[in-house]
Amino acid sequence: MKKVNVVIDGKSINVPESYTVIMAAKELGIEIPAFCYEPSLEIVASCRICVVEIEGSRKLETACSTKVWEGMNVQTRSERVIKERRQILQLLLDNHPNDCLTCQKAGECLLQKYAYEYDVKFGDESSQVSLKIDKSNPYVYRDESKCILCGRCVRICAQIPERSVLCFANRGTEMKIAADYDKTMGSSSCVACQRCVSVCPVGALMDGRLMGRHRSWECEKEHIKCSVCQYGCDFELLKKGSRIVGVRSMAPGGGRPLCLKGRLTNELNYVDMSELAPVYMKKGEEYVQASWVEALALHRLINRIEKLEER
Amino acid sequence: MVLVKIDGRELEVPKDYTILKACQAAGAQIPTFCYDERLSRHGAGACRICLIEVEGQRNLMPSCTEKVWEGMSVFTKSERVIKERKGILELMVQNHPLDCLTCEKSGDCKLQDYCYEYDVTGIKGLEERVLPVDDSNPFYKFDPDKCILCGKCVRVCEELQGTRAIVISERGPVAKVSAPFDEGLENSPCVSCGNCVSYCPVGALLPKSKTGYRVWDTKKVMTTCSYCGVGCQLELIVKGNEVVGVQPAMGAGNEGLLCVKGKFAYGFINHPDRLKKPMIRKDGVLVESTWEEALSLVANKISDIKSKYGADSIAGLTSARCTNEENYLFQKLLRAVVGTNNVDHCARL
Repeated sequence: MKKVNVVIDGKSINVPESYTVIMAAKELGIEIPAFCYEPSLEIVASCRICVVEIEGSRKLETACSTKVWEGMNVQTRSERVIKERRQILQLLLDNHPNDCLTCQKAGECLLQKYAYEYDVKFGDESSQVSLKIDKSNPYVYRDESKCILCGRCVRICAQIPERSVLCFANRGTEMKIAADYDKTMGSSSCVACQRCVSVCPVGALMDGRLMGRHRSWECEKEHIKCSVCQYGCDFELLKKGSRIVGVRSMAPGGGRPLCLKGRLTNELNYVDMSELAPVYMKKGEEYVQASWVEALALHRLINRIEKLEER
Repeated sequence: MVLVKIDGRELEVPKDYTILKACQAAGAQIPTFCYDERLSRHGAGACRICLIEVEGQRNLMPSCTEKVWEGMSVFTKSERVIKERKGILELMVQNHPLDCLTCEKSGDCKLQDYCYEYDVTGIKGLEERVLPVDDSNPFYKFDPDKCILCGKCVRVCEELQGTRAIVISERGPVAKVSAPFDEGLENSPCVSCGNCVSYCPVGALLPKSKTGYRVWDTKKVMTTCSYCGVGCQLELIVKGNEVVGVQPAMGAGNEGLLCVKGKFAYGFINHPDRLKKPMIRKDGVLVESTWEEALSLVANKISDIKSKYGADSIAGLTSARCTNEENYLFQKLLRAVVGTNNVDHCARL
């Protein structure tokens, strides 16, 4: 593959010409902020936070979608870039509830991370924003008021063609993420695989069963591989001291699906007995609490094993 | 020993235990802001968050000040207790800037922890106070808006540090932590030890760190302070490969306290000008060298001088930054190897 020389913030590097600016910067150890960009997803360049200044370009360009070229000279932290990023963050914050005090995402939230980095604070407008919580699906807790419309969830959901539950609805200031024809998460065709939860950069989509159980900074995280099927999806154990308090899905790799069955099996397998959250099954349009045996459809298996052992 | 019942669980504890200690012994988690086991009971019980219910008592009691008594039955999580704690947190947070988005204390703030635990969200009620931040001290800043008036800083300064640089002045809604005559921290007797900063449960007292950091992006590394021979235990707060702060640890020598050097003077660790190798002056210019070369040079020069002018023409001066053991070995070296009694120590100067 043909390689090109680029200069980013005064440092030069030789990268394949298929690289985008954000990829080249990463190789140099330069972090460019990004909300909508996720390496495993299609590039849409919609959040604009990754803008950089490229010598010769009149406008700022998005680092996630601009390919490198020979002799390219990029500034990722020029005054103009910082000013633009701060403005984008301020607009996002003006439309976001000031809830970091108790928000489950605090500590892992990209909006919080960049607001701190670029020193942007909530203005008076944010006090007008009230939470819009949809708890109908216990596995996918949705709070529309916290959504920044980056669309990661829509793209990751669409990677499974027969799902494609989430989509953008409405336009302009009314724009939002909708499930099916604007149903609740519980009544939609969502199968609670949590792919969307694993990539949401803010507190708009979270695991409802982990709410209120831990703060991200008090947990040590341990990476595990799911062994329920041969895909071997990635999960994370949340450890508070010596106790495992929860399991969560990590972003799916290429060709991997993520599923609720894997998630719950890992939970049953690893989580401290005293910390196990109740499980739910969808019956009709609603989720209702169920037993573990029922949720994982183990009844017949357990019966047969017991009989086998009696023999 | 007395027999007490905590949340239905019976246990025996020494009779001088506070209810809080007994609860902790029983494994019950009690929230605290102003409590610190090293502090006396004078001024304790100010924050009220550790309230518990005792069977037969009309009022809820602060568990950190009351001693246990035989046969008492304590409830740490009763409906009444939870309701009261929520009320206290609500009052605190109504008067606290909702700044967790960018507050440096976020992730290590007790007010944030308890609000999460007791599900108290930031309700906007009272007018926010807007008092000026006192950043006159070069090492730390005080933001009275974030202060919850638990008084821990005042007690740490008075009882543990012995400086008495700050007090709670005024009363009622205008009460605040201030330096004498309200003339700013810079004009107070403050010695910048930073012990108040280390124990502030919220973001009211924060170090002025050169590199900003979020608590969750750092890890802590336990070490011994290298500034003097006391050997205070401390935790370096490390972000990536850089030391960005220091928090005292409970060591036998320092019991969770530090001085201005241990707490704030860590900038040399990552300083680009820091000497990492011994330097030898060659032809008038200092050049980097190895320890082996430098030490043999010193040894050779000492024997040269000794053979030429006698051992008493040599003197050794050691440092208060060394440990007792190192200082002992140094005088041993001078007396037994070099053969002179000319040995002194910078702490005498």
